[in-house]
Amino acid sequence: MKNRLFKDILPRVSKPARYVGGELNMIKKDWEQSDIKMVFAFPDVYEIGMSHLGGKILYGVVNEKSNNLMERAFAPWPDMEAIMREEKIPLYSLETYTPLKKFDVVGFSLQYELSISNVLNMLDLSTIPIWSKDRQEDDPIVVAGGPVSFNPEPFAEFFDAFMIGDGEDLILEFLDCLKQNQELDRKNKLLKLATIEGVYVPCLYSVEYKEDGTIKAMLSQNRDVPERVRKRLVQDLDAAYFPDKPIVPYMEIVHDRAVLEVMRGCQRACRFCHAGIVYRPVREKSLETLKRQAQAQLQNTGYDEISLTSLSTLDYSGVNPLVKDLVKTYGKLGIGVALPSLRVDAFSIELANEVQKVRKTTLTLAPEAGTQRLRDVINKNVNEDDLFRAADAAFKSGWNSIKLYFMLGLPTETVADLDGILELLIKVRDIGKHFSRRSVEIRASLACFVPKAHTPFQWSSQNSFAQLEEKRRHLQCHRIKNVKLSFHHSHISILEGTIARGDRRIAQVIYKAWQKGCKFDGWSEYFKFDKWMEAFADLDIEPDFYTLRERSYDEIFPWDFIDTGVSKAYLYKQYEMANSAELTPDCRQAGCVDCGICGDFGVFIDLKEEA
Amino acid sequence: MRLRAEYSVGPHLKFLANLDMMHLMERTLRRAKIPYLLSEGFNPHIKMSLGTILPVGVWGQKEYFDLDIKPMPIADFIEAMNQALPPGIYIRKCCEILPLAPALMKVINAADYIFMMQCTGLDLENIAAQILSQDKILVNSKGKNKMLTKDLRPGLYDINAERQDEVEIIMARVSVNEPLNIRFDEILDVFVQYGINKKYMLDFWRRGNYIRKGEHYYSPLEKV
Repeated sequence: MKNRLFKDILPRVSKPARYVGGELNMIKKDWEQSDIKMVFAFPDVYEIGMSHLGGKILYGVVNEKSNNLMERAFAPWPDMEAIMREEKIPLYSLETYTPLKKFDVVGFSLQYELSISNVLNMLDLSTIPIWSKDRQEDDPIVVAGGPVSFNPEPFAEFFDAFMIGDGEDLILEFLDCLKQNQELDRKNKLLKLATIEGVYVPCLYSVEYKEDGTIKAMLSQNRDVPERVRKRLVQDLDAAYFPDKPIVPYMEIVHDRAVLEVMRGCQRACRFCHAGIVYRPVREKSLETLKRQAQAQLQNTGYDEISLTSLSTLDYSGVNPLVKDLVKTYGKLGIGVALPSLRVDAFSIELANEVQKVRKTTLTLAPEAGTQRLRDVINKNVNEDDLFRAADAAFKSGWNSIKLYFMLGLPTETVADLDGILELLIKVRDIGKHFSRRSVEIRASLACFVPKAHTPFQWSSQNSFAQLEEKRRHLQCHRIKNVKLSFHHSHISILEGTIARGDRRIAQVIYKAWQKGCKFDGWSEYFKFDKWMEAFADLDIEPDFYTLRERSYDEIFPWDFIDTGVSKAYLYKQYEMANSAELTPDCRQAGCVDCGICGDFGVFIDLKEEA
Repeated sequence: MRLRAEYSVGPHLKFLANLDMMHLMERTLRRAKIPYLLSEGFNPHIKMSLGTILPVGVWGQKEYFDLDIKPMPIADFIEAMNQALPPGIYIRKCCEILPLAPALMKVINAADYIFMMQCTGLDLENIAAQILSQDKILVNSKGKNKMLTKDLRPGLYDINAERQDEVEIIMARVSVNEPLNIRFDEILDVFVQYGINKKYMLDFWRRGNYIRKGEHYYSPLEKV
């Protein structure tokens, strides 16, 4: 197989390095000596999938901490896919060129709703049945995890099981359970898996609907299987596994640098934020751990940059000493520190300068909305002065371009809020002009707001395509010098919204759309909105039911049975407070806001470096 | 001090683009803790230049780069690098060169390509002689914005064919950079014109890069 690929197949495709494996730090375990064989399948191309931190953690923990093995597979780009289909080459793993069908477990990482069409395509390329119910004893167990699986229902019928929440411990328990029950048939294996906390086995639950299309009840079909599936979380991140020797790809990938996860979770309580809810509570790593992990990562990879990642890195209690230490230790070797999207209010001049000593990285700030009123609605605790101070500091220190993130279509948004975005951009540009002799560049990226499951806006109506387009036109008709606006594709956001709050009936639509040729839907050049709408029409399913409809307080949501630890009562209270633009403070400073996770899960906020 | 290194890139790495190779080398320098020198300025970078660029899909036995480092024994450099390099790639030789030595890109002007084929049933020696007897050898070549017709003959220095057990081998020695830059795929095009179909190819690689002076070919380590 490898010979054939190198000689006949790969010379004919774009970016062949995507398909060869063999990278530095790749782990190739002995197939015969390993217990359960799992392949980590990422439903996007190599350079996206290899940038994903969760995959690096799972790959390392399974291969280093257990006698099971994990290999990798990614979605082939359409040119490669065409040749694979023509030459009858099944989708294979990069470590041993083994077809996916030969593994015991195929695990997909769901980072984004629309990657599901690629999941179907990858299963098909592996000749694994697409529907869970069609799989036979010798087919792999097909599982999924990642943030999207917090509402697993639209995908429920494609997967045999889901792993919900932090995966470090869960994946080892999952594979061990399979190892211990190898003699059981598929159905009974799944029953065993369903008793592990954090595992959801869809075929063991049934859903009943009301006449209006909403859910009447969701019931577990077996008394050993819990009514609600509780997410897994790792309390002590210092003790948790983190890879010291991540794979270093040969080709350039999207995030081509060493990565340090400084903490997990965020309790800023931004009301639109899915990750902010499902990854509660905040758990930090200690400075000592981070310095050690930075040293190991850089030593074993040779990267020239290290990124401090988390949902809100500037909120890490030790961020100042950490950045200073890293710059001091590695700056002289030409190794830089990268801070991804910064919180506007936490940004300090000092820290900006620390990072800049070595390499000027892009400065990105996210005010999210154009007026104070709307920022209060979404509980983004940032005011204009914070933003101006941050811009001021940045331009003073020599940055020449700033990127700002906004959302369109937020609940209660009016024309005044849109105009507010433009006014804000002009003011930031003027600050830049004041400091810089060269012309400054202000880039604004405008995403369309998509209400997500498990957030206070899960009850909200999403803007229609027509509304979003009108807002886009309104903003675009004003041309401002040195300010560039870029918009996300509204159609993509509408489809994302449909799936994000979808139920089991959506699976048929996904299948139909895939049959009509949909894949790589997150890539605008491949996204076929018309095909998706045809699929909805063919099945007589109305997307507006999922997007435009404002939900009532007592509606049972498809994802209610997933227990994130945050109570529905808290979310509803937040929803009401949003409508009256009332703020909720950060619970680290202001005390408990009763979201429910700490008491219910017996966990606590874990801050490591507070004085 | 400035070093010139000769390295080998194995078949498994033949799909790497030039930028990928540069990143690979830079990361290896850092892992191997080589005391490399950085350029001045806002965006300091390692003072290294890859003097030869392998086309994607071709591997190479003798490729070259120049590098500025703080003084260290050459043997230590080679050892540290070879321990840190990924499998399939290694430093063969190394020598110190003068800081003012002309850049590799400026001096390398010839290269050998090897084409290994399954049994073609063709008289390859005769074909080689035939090609070399032409006054002009025209191929279509992609110019900046349009297709151009290019005469390869002045840059085709030699073509040899031989049979080894089950395989047949053609070696082509061609001009690169100056006076004429002959690209690898252009040689393949010439072969196709003379009936050597691409389907016969089992493997191909670059055997070496040379400095041509008159009728002599020197390695970039010999002639600095």
